[in-house]
Amino acid sequence: DDHKLSKEELEEKYTTSISKGLTSARAAEILARDGPNALTPPKSTPEIIKFLKQMVGGFSILLWVGALLCWIAFGIQLAQGVASAFDNLYLGVVLALVVILTGIFAYYQEAKSTNIMASFSKMIPQQALVIRDGEKKEVPAEQLVVGDIVEIKGGDRIPADIRLIFSQGCKVDNSSLTGESEPQSRSCDFTHENPLETKNIAFYSTTCLEGTATGMVINTGDHTIIGRIASLASGVGNEKTPIAIEIEHFVHIVAGVAVSIGVLFFIIAVSMKYKVLDSIIFLIGIIVANVPEGLLATVTVSLSLTAKRMAKKNCLVKNLEAVETLGSTSIICSDKTGTLTQNRMTVAHLWFDDQIYSADTTQSFDQSSQSWATLSKIVTLCNRAEFKPGQENVPIMKRVVVGDASETALLKFAEVILGDVMGIRKRNRKLAEIPFNSTNKFQLSIHETEDPNDKRFLLVMKGAPERILERCSTIMINGEEQPLDRERAEAFQTAYMELGGLGERVLGFCHLYLPEDEFPDTYPFDTDSMNFPTSNLCFVGLLSMIDPPRSTVPDAVSKCRSAGIKVIMVTGDHPITAKAIAKSVGIISANSETVEDIAKRLNVPVEQVNKQDARAAVINGMELKDMTAEQLDEILINHSEIVFARTSPQQKLIIVEGCQRQVNQGGDGPCHLNPTVFQDAVVAVTGDGVNDSPALKKADIGIAMGIAGSDAAKNAADMILLDDNFASIVTGVEEGRLIFDNLKKTIAYTLTKNIAELCPFLIYIIASIPLPIGTITILFIDLGTDIIPSVALAYEKAESDIMNRRPRHKKKDRLVNEQLAVYSYLQIGILQSIGAFLAYFTVYAEQGWLPNTLLGLRVNWEDDYYNDIEDSYGQEWTRYQRTYLQWSGYTAFFVSITIQQVADLIIRKTRRNSIFQQGLLRNKVIWVGIFSQIAIALILCYGLGSVTALNFTPLRVQYWFVAMPYAILIWVYDEIRKLFIRQYPGSK
Amino acid sequence: MSKEEKKPFSQTMAEWRQFVYNPRSGEFLGRTAKSWGLILLFYLVFYGFLAALFTFTMWVLLQTLSGDIPKYRDRISSPGLMISPKPVTALEFYFNKSDSKSYAEYVSTLKQFLKSYDDSKQSKNIACTAGKLFEQNEDRAVKQACQFNRTMLGSCSGVEDDTFGYAKGTPCVLVKMNRIIGLKPEGEPHIQCSPKEEGKVQITYFPDGGTIDLMYFPYYGKNLHADYLQPLVAVQLAINSSSTKEDVTIECKIMGSPNLRNEDDRDKFLGRISFKVQMSE
Repeated sequence: DDHKLSKEELEEKYTTSISKGLTSARAAEILARDGPNALTPPKSTPEIIKFLKQMVGGFSILLWVGALLCWIAFGIQLAQGVASAFDNLYLGVVLALVVILTGIFAYYQEAKSTNIMASFSKMIPQQALVIRDGEKKEVPAEQLVVGDIVEIKGGDRIPADIRLIFSQGCKVDNSSLTGESEPQSRSCDFTHENPLETKNIAFYSTTCLEGTATGMVINTGDHTIIGRIASLASGVGNEKTPIAIEIEHFVHIVAGVAVSIGVLFFIIAVSMKYKVLDSIIFLIGIIVANVPEGLLATVTVSLSLTAKRMAKKNCLVKNLEAVETLGSTSIICSDKTGTLTQNRMTVAHLWFDDQIYSADTTQSFDQSSQSWATLSKIVTLCNRAEFKPGQENVPIMKRVVVGDASETALLKFAEVILGDVMGIRKRNRKLAEIPFNSTNKFQLSIHETEDPNDKRFLLVMKGAPERILERCSTIMINGEEQPLDRERAEAFQTAYMELGGLGERVLGFCHLYLPEDEFPDTYPFDTDSMNFPTSNLCFVGLLSMIDPPRSTVPDAVSKCRSAGIKVIMVTGDHPITAKAIAKSVGIISANSETVEDIAKRLNVPVEQVNKQDARAAVINGMELKDMTAEQLDEILINHSEIVFARTSPQQKLIIVEGCQRQVNQGGDGPCHLNPTVFQDAVVAVTGDGVNDSPALKKADIGIAMGIAGSDAAKNAADMILLDDNFASIVTGVEEGRLIFDNLKKTIAYTLTKNIAELCPFLIYIIASIPLPIGTITILFIDLGTDIIPSVALAYEKAESDIMNRRPRHKKKDRLVNEQLAVYSYLQIGILQSIGAFLAYFTVYAEQGWLPNTLLGLRVNWEDDYYNDIEDSYGQEWTRYQRTYLQWSGYTAFFVSITIQQVADLIIRKTRRNSIFQQGLLRNKVIWVGIFSQIAIALILCYGLGSVTALNFTPLRVQYWFVAMPYAILIWVYDEIRKLFIRQYPGSK
Repeated sequence: MSKEEKKPFSQTMAEWRQFVYNPRSGEFLGRTAKSWGLILLFYLVFYGFLAALFTFTMWVLLQTLSGDIPKYRDRISSPGLMISPKPVTALEFYFNKSDSKSYAEYVSTLKQFLKSYDDSKQSKNIACTAGKLFEQNEDRAVKQACQFNRTMLGSCSGVEDDTFGYAKGTPCVLVKMNRIIGLKPEGEPHIQCSPKEEGKVQITYFPDGGTIDLMYFPYYGKNLHADYLQPLVAVQLAINSSSTKEDVTIECKIMGSPNLRNEDDRDKFLGRISFKVQMSE
């Protein structure tokens, strides 16, 4: 019922004071009682569901099938009393463990990245301006308590449910509550019985659009209206990220190969009169050999490594997969303020006494003029911005200010030149004030003067120059008031146009001393009825401000250009300002012209200019409003340098959708014949406001600003730019492209040895030789020796300047393409298999089993009761002696694959360049990978060789070198291939 | 990203047909005939090269090996034991002494196995000194073999009883030790068999005491020692009439030689063997 109470009743109810606020101690007490002012987060997907999802994603299903088949085989064999039945039980358990462990790992990784987010949202919380202990303070909105007095201005999010006690043209957007985006005015009056309808309450999570207000917090956290309704519309289904699509594509390919080879050989085995049970066991082996068990974990690790690296460069990625999305970006729609610019308005120029001065604070201008004295007084007084207390030792430009951007600029400017602004203000006490709002476009305040003899009140006003000029009848020249005649007015126009043409925000200043007789000491100024003159004032001068571009941005924009990324500026600013900034950062390059420029140069009407001649375009939000989708497409296609000015956040969404309809002509792959594939552009969008959330969600990658961004924007975004700097996006793009390249390498590396693991099974089935490599051994390669090297590839540096290529085409430049699969599977993979088979045959031959004896031996070899099989030399072997030899064969095969994987690792470092160009030592992690690989193999072979269950045996040292010639051959062959690729680029 | 429009089926089919054969560019499965030809040629050359390379390396490997003895024999340091005849499933003998069909398989296997031990075929082999290793000179290209006469197997030789005792309910099983090149047993190796349960069966050995004579060692390999006959021990089982139709488990071990192992945990056939006999009447 707080809306019905009077101010005094409220003060009493909440034991607070409207002028002084709560005391800090009392606030702390209430905070302890009520808890923080935050909504309990909505119930997200239960952890167990997330966990189970990891258990069935990717290759897991295939491995579960494998495990299940193992257990079925175990059951049947157990019933038949086969001695080796338990091997299948163990294998099944191992496969299940593999799935569960990789699932746990993926779950853990995901949880970790969510935690980063969680900790982040605490790091930069929403701030609220609150009066406590009689002082204005900024506190995190979470610490607000009932009874706090908060000040709100246009652009703020309402930090709690607030009963207004002072309001000045305050309008709120209740769309988050009602869905109605029509601004609603807010005042201090009780207008409706229903608290939801009354005008004197502003609700938590709604936005203040304009004006200012002071209010008392009446509800916090979950007790707020929105907290009670408790439907924080969250979790709009996210689209799959490009890398997720790529990985799915890859899983499909590999699973397809695994299943089709598996089924094919199952049929072959059955038709070769193998028992069905044996065929099932073959099937398991084929599945296990084909599935790169460790790969998905490796990909996750690589992505999170990149995410970490990006976080260091100020790109915080919420979703691991977004790391790569950024790399495939083809269009960036960037905000201007804060992203391209420093978001620090600074005064650039002044105009008074009919002359433009540069406000470069290092050079002084003519400060002796009386006009300057007058102007500086207006600048100082007609300003609501204040320095936060306790910053006396901080350099002026770095002090934190409570106030909007241009007021801050003026305050700092005045403080630099005059010093002690607060003192001046104190001496010229403010009696009344009308803050800036978008309807009247001026700000006005009335002050006592510091001269005790002068009893007149001073009315100071600033605002849009043309509006200010309208209200003036005189103009101050050299301290003298002179009539504002046409000549003077034209001089003003020229100056205004000149400054505006520089893209600067120009403000006009005027003043009036109110006659003492009409406005005595006690005159009650009322800002609502405006019982004081607001016309026939004296114009004093202009001040222009600009938000200078960040120094790193022009470089970053040109990098984007060479990387084939279109940078589009989307801003709410005036077209001229937008164009000026776009030119200064290179979004519009120096020699580009807009249609309007051409028209002006040729002196013809705009309509006569061929639109395709103009490279650049500056589109006004008003024009955009009337455009059809086709017209927008036309603009996006015809112009390469586009600036959208005066756009509303709703229009941002339209622009993003337009961009997403564009065709990405990029890709270093061959051009396809069919250019009708639409929706190929990957669009990155930056945003900070709540209203940007739809655009951020809609974009392929939404980038929220870490400093200026609202929580809603951060929630909707995929990535958060910690320093709000456009240049950081570009470094992010670079990392994203690099990881895509490196993942290709990782996958090529991993796929290669799958053939070397698969071939043994195929030969085993067809030629009936003793099994060359066991399923468990395969798992030791996939999850043991190969893991660290494949992660090491993620550390590989770029081969050439990756920022000189066009963005990859979503549908054409796949992560795993035909060439990569064919080259890995059919060339290097086969080479590797041959090398490993050589080692296998060597081990058997040197123990007395020549290759010709081995052929067709399988059935007898595996017969448990056949204990006198004769080898090539007439010796007879028991079953166990054969099994032990078979394990030696496994070990030799394993060692050979490992050795050849070292060569594979080295060739995969580059895709085009020779190893000598790339350098072997630049990526030290690769060496860690190689050493780990060999060390793990040594441990397995000699350390765990006596553990029977692992099927490893200590191997004679020379067998480590049998496959060496093949390893060298792999390397030489690949160098030759790369040579051809460099010699004949672009051939199919 | 907005949802992709579903392509109509006919278009998908048309695209497929286009992919399989594109009459405009003459592409078949995405490539022209020439392109396919080049690819096939490449793989032909590539795999041809690999095959040649593999053959070559295998040839090099085989060149390093001796035809007479394998390079390493460490995987078979101690011999296994095996029996003949070997029943098809497991090592379990099931037969009915009055049904000749039930043991015909065993008898024929034994006959076949003992053929090479026929006295007539042993004329080229020499009579060696019993009880001593028969080591032969290195430079002898063809090693001589010692005679092992079938008659030494007594009533299990099949000479007098061509059913090897199966018809009488006293089946013979031959126990043999696996051949290993260069193996020189120490001591006085002999086979000793015992039923798992005492008293179910009486065992008679041929030759006496189940001795394996040292003169049959060492073995020089199939190539050099083509006429080699490995020594046998025949075990004749007289199953007590009370134990017919019961499983009788017999375990045989090689005893009396310190370098022939018979108690390995994992290898149940290293220097020992166990088999089951079930006889019915």
